[in-house]
Amino acid sequence: MKLDYSVIMPFMPVFLEGAWMTVKLSVLSLALGLVLGIIGGLCKTSAIWPLRAVANLYTWIFRGTPLLVQLFILYFGLPQLGITMGPFQAGVLGMALNTGAYVTEIVRSGLTAVDRGQSEAASALGMSRSVALFRVIGPQAIKVIIPPLVNQFIMTIKNSSMVSLVTITELFRTGESVIVSTFRSFEVYTVIAIMYLIMTSLLMIVAKQLEKGMSAHDRA
Amino acid sequence: MIELNQVNKSYGKHQVLFDINLTIAKREKVVILGPSGSGKSTVLRCINGLETIQSGDIRYEGASVLGDKAMRKLRLEVGMVFQRFHLFPHRTALENVMEGPIWVKGMKKHEAKELATDLLAKVGLSGKEDSYPGKLSGGQQQRVAIARSLAMQPKAILFDEPTSALDPELVGEVLSVMKEVAAEGMSMVVVTHEIGFAREVADRIVFMDQGKVIETGTPDEILDRPQHVRTQSFLSRILK
Ligand SMILES: Nc1ncnc2c1ncn2[C@@H]1O[C@H](COP(=O)(O)OP(=O)(O)OP(=O)(O)O)[C@@H](O)[C@H]1O
Ligand SMILES: [Mg+2]
Repeated sequence: MKLDYSVIMPFMPVFLEGAWMTVKLSVLSLALGLVLGIIGGLCKTSAIWPLRAVANLYTWIFRGTPLLVQLFILYFGLPQLGITMGPFQAGVLGMALNTGAYVTEIVRSGLTAVDRGQSEAASALGMSRSVALFRVIGPQAIKVIIPPLVNQFIMTIKNSSMVSLVTITELFRTGESVIVSTFRSFEVYTVIAIMYLIMTSLLMIVAKQLEKGMSAHDRA
Repeated sequence: MIELNQVNKSYGKHQVLFDINLTIAKREKVVILGPSGSGKSTVLRCINGLETIQSGDIRYEGASVLGDKAMRKLRLEVGMVFQRFHLFPHRTALENVMEGPIWVKGMKKHEAKELATDLLAKVGLSGKEDSYPGKLSGGQQQRVAIARSLAMQPKAILFDEPTSALDPELVGEVLSVMKEVAAEGMSMVVVTHEIGFAREVADRIVFMDQGKVIETGTPDEILDRPQHVRTQSFLSRILK
């Protein structure tokens, strides 16, 4: 069969709808995952051991098991315990928890990368830990955090293809439905690949701008 | 004003301070001398709570600072200047000095700016307000750090080898700022190897070795008539 993209062009609206679902899923789980990761990172660097213990348990479980298994437990497993979620909620929750675990590690290593003298200087000035975090440690940690964070966000966008398996019709899953009526696997999956590429590229461009803005007044 | 009673400090099994007793009176300048590893920095860091102590007591204006509240008061009123400056690299010289007044004392931004501008002028850095620390020499950075500490209008300042990380030709500018601060009546605890500064400024010199205070006295007593062999051999080594 010769390659012919015109056959699948009429299905563009279907792809775009799937892509829109992928965007919604990704944005929501990235936002939630970021919040979780910041809280997790702060817990991991806290002086209070129960907070560290909880955060350690969290990252241990969610980085140590496959995302797919986590999604299946949330969507197919929990109903058995009487907890039912829609596929969208389960998808977002699973991706957020998974992303949050990785972001926790990224935030932790960013915070610990800041020279200890900085928090000592802040303490010596009388700053509380929270003021020191916002004014001294955080702004310096962000520079270290952003590059791996962008990587993680790209991973999350790509991983969102897995939520198709908990019955969400996002970008990847639209492929199947188009193939059923066109039998054009190559064309369909290359179009889908390009759409993922567009999303991840947009993210990388935004990140580049952010990094540029922040290194404007770097130390010599 | 600051009082250490029988302070013991260990890192794990390794004890680094043994029964330290030390009193710093208001407006007094105390210089701590001693070989590397004798525990000088640790004494300063225990005073403002950067290290916790295993036993003994540290009191500030009569109250034990082992409690959080008293420690907060001490940190508000006792500044610290570090060997390696520890300026905030993401903020300009002026912002470094403004940071404490604004974020700890809640001072209005324009007032803090005025205060910081005056203090930078006082340490001889007018014109450097907008420079980031990375663009300043070591001597300039340390003077910004002194201004940052002064901006909190402290009653005392702890100096931990403030000139040891500097090129020799930059030591003088920092010492002269410190002498000026001393002349204004600030209480100071200074760890330094600058014997000239100690002789000129100190009311009292404390000599430490291996985590213990070996002897204490006026500069003349310690520098010219040291009683203890360890003090004598230390002085002969650094005066060589
Ligand atoms: N964080 C730490 N963990 C373990 N041991 C430490 C720590 N900090 C200091 N020490 C040890 O405590 C002892 C006293 O150190 P301190 O830094 O107070 O000495 P110092 O008199 O300031 O020396 P220097 O002139 O080199 O600055 C040394 O034996 C040092 O190895
Ligand atoms: Mg030291």
